[in-house]
Amino acid sequence: MPAPVAIHHLSKRYGRIEAVRDLSLALNDGEIFGLLGPNGAGKTTLLECVIGLREPDQGSIEICGIDARHAPRAAREKTGVVLQQTSLQEKITPREALQLFASFYPAPLGAGELLERFALGAQADAAFDTLSGGQRQRLALALSFVGRPQLLILDEPTAALDPQSRRALHDDIRRLRDDGCTVLLSTHNLNEAEKLCDRVAVIDRGIIVATGAPRELLRESSAQQTIMLTTRPPLAPERLRALPAVTTVRSDGDSKQIETSSTTTTLAALSTMLAEQRSTIVELRVQPATLEDVFLRLTQSDQPAATL
Amino acid sequence: MNAFAAHLALSLRLHFRNRIALIYGYLFPLIYLAAFAVLYRHEKIPLLRHMGELLTVSVLGGACFGLPTTLVSERERGVWRRYRVAPVATRSLVLSTVLARFAILLSAGALQLAVAFAVGMTAPANPLGLWIAFSAVSFAFIGLGLVIATLADTVVAVQALGQCIFLPMLVIGGVAVPLASLPGFAQHISAFFPGRYAVEALQACVSGSGLSGARFSLAALLAIGTAASCAGTKLFRWHAQQRFADRAGKLWLAAVLAVWIAIGYAAETRGRIAPSTITETAPAPAVVDPPWKKITSRDIAEFNFNLPSDEGVVAPMAPPDEEPPDEWARGVAIVREKLPAWRPGLDTDEVQRVRNLLCVAAVPDAVQHPLERYLPRVVFDHLIATHEKTDLIKILAWIAQHPEDGAVVTDLTAVGFDLPFSGDSYIIREREMLYALKFIARLTGRKPE
Repeated sequence: MPAPVAIHHLSKRYGRIEAVRDLSLALNDGEIFGLLGPNGAGKTTLLECVIGLREPDQGSIEICGIDARHAPRAAREKTGVVLQQTSLQEKITPREALQLFASFYPAPLGAGELLERFALGAQADAAFDTLSGGQRQRLALALSFVGRPQLLILDEPTAALDPQSRRALHDDIRRLRDDGCTVLLSTHNLNEAEKLCDRVAVIDRGIIVATGAPRELLRESSAQQTIMLTTRPPLAPERLRALPAVTTVRSDGDSKQIETSSTTTTLAALSTMLAEQRSTIVELRVQPATLEDVFLRLTQSDQPAATL
Repeated sequence: MNAFAAHLALSLRLHFRNRIALIYGYLFPLIYLAAFAVLYRHEKIPLLRHMGELLTVSVLGGACFGLPTTLVSERERGVWRRYRVAPVATRSLVLSTVLARFAILLSAGALQLAVAFAVGMTAPANPLGLWIAFSAVSFAFIGLGLVIATLADTVVAVQALGQCIFLPMLVIGGVAVPLASLPGFAQHISAFFPGRYAVEALQACVSGSGLSGARFSLAALLAIGTAASCAGTKLFRWHAQQRFADRAGKLWLAAVLAVWIAIGYAAETRGRIAPSTITETAPAPAVVDPPWKKITSRDIAEFNFNLPSDEGVVAPMAPPDEEPPDEWARGVAIVREKLPAWRPGLDTDEVQRVRNLLCVAAVPDAVQHPLERYLPRVVFDHLIATHEKTDLIKILAWIAQHPEDGAVVTDLTAVGFDLPFSGDSYIIREREMLYALKFIARLTGRKPE
């Protein structure tokens, strides 16, 4: 069975700027795949090439085995798209929009079914301009689902949503994945990617610098973990800095933030030091590395091509 | 329902939900009618004579403003960008948008005609031809609307670009100001604008000889529409950031302008610059006698025949036995030879036909050309040869009674007189009246030859 998306050696440049550089990527069937990257990293260009809004300079894009560059309409029939901002005509209603988009596909889902599925029944005949941000985004998702897509592409789908709408949309996306749909999304929200995505790719300066499951990335990364420590009497920072695996120590009154590459090594040595100094623990918390830490480490590096 | 039909139906539904679009599309054409009612408050509104202009203004507004405003505002909102990522053909969406606009224009035109009938306008001479001409006019202007939509980034830019096309066509393009009232240079310029051909084609079907009398105008509209539609479709922009500034894009725009120039050039070389007399004619319906038939000998007797001398500066006229000097004899012979086949002199409306022929006497007089003494004689001889005497007297009397009516021909190049008149058409109308009276005086024996 062909991959939902298979990108081979894709490049796209704007004048002298190489937005995407010889990028290759393949998605697995039925996964939620996240594209992470700072502004200007090339993730929007990559998505726009995949959905046909931009013509790549070179490389190939296959969607469900269809060459998207040579048969764009056939590829679009397999794909549902939610753009970063979906704005329809002021006076169009969700029902009319769904009926219109249904006419674009060979075997569409009915408007009534989609209105119910995406909780838009009460707004079915309301003008688009009267819908809330969450309702508009649910409509955008419903529109992307009209053609029974095998691949769903979402460009920062929760960027303009309040936390409640964001959580509801996450549930919708998971449900789509559970129904067998493959989801490719770009996001700035690392917390979202960590919670939602089965796999992520970090893009920087037009190339993929890391790919994998969020937990896998965290485990395999050398990102620093933080120990928050308060003792009585307080321990001197220079003593703490001498502990094994510790890289940095910051003081905030009596409390200390100890960054370490190995919490187990540092904590073992710390217990000995506490006994020697006859100091007692008032507060001790271990803060694990987040995807944000991994992301920052990868995208701030001068050597971006590291592979995890 | 397929994409074409679904988008067509939706476009129409959304149009009828948009109050501003309804005001511009349907109320404004009726305001034009009201404006004419005010302009002609002293007489029965000659709507039939101006229907070509009124319908053209309505189509121009709906196609060059309404269509691009809708397209660009939807593009600004990102609607077309969303369409772009769906499996739908560009032609389905563009064609359905164009067809929806045509339906809107057609309904606005029908409403305008219905209200005109309600206030007393008689039925158009050729309803089927009018529908065809209206379609050709819509095609040409919708094409231009598509081009404006590709050029404009924002709705504000649509208004600016639309005005660049709308206002010149209204003022010097023969749409709002009749060609006959325009100076000679403006008549030449109007030949390069589609508005003129729109008015001519529509008017020919409203009060003229129908489509057969407007073949050139129809061809011009179809050529302009085809070039503009091709350019508009080729340069179609799905989203605002998409640019057409590459070489191919500029070539398409050059092609559109080239068609305008080619049509203007064809009009120049075929002697079509003078206003077609099909426009602005005011014929009565075929079943009713034209009003000039009601002229009586008493009406004629009421004229003041104390006219300027035939030997003077104003309205001179050589006696029948005076031959022109050798240096001007050739010029007189050319006009005499061309006059029988001169298009304005063959107008189907008798009054306008005679008015046009009187212009051949009036214009040389107004520009004080050395032929001014001899051409009135040529015209007089031609009128006698081609009209029944009693009718001719009545028509001339009607013209003398109504010098402000009808069209004025100021460019006589096609009849061999190549010094066009570019002053106030009032002067020509005055000279027409004087020559009409001089001819009546001769035909009724008041002035023996």
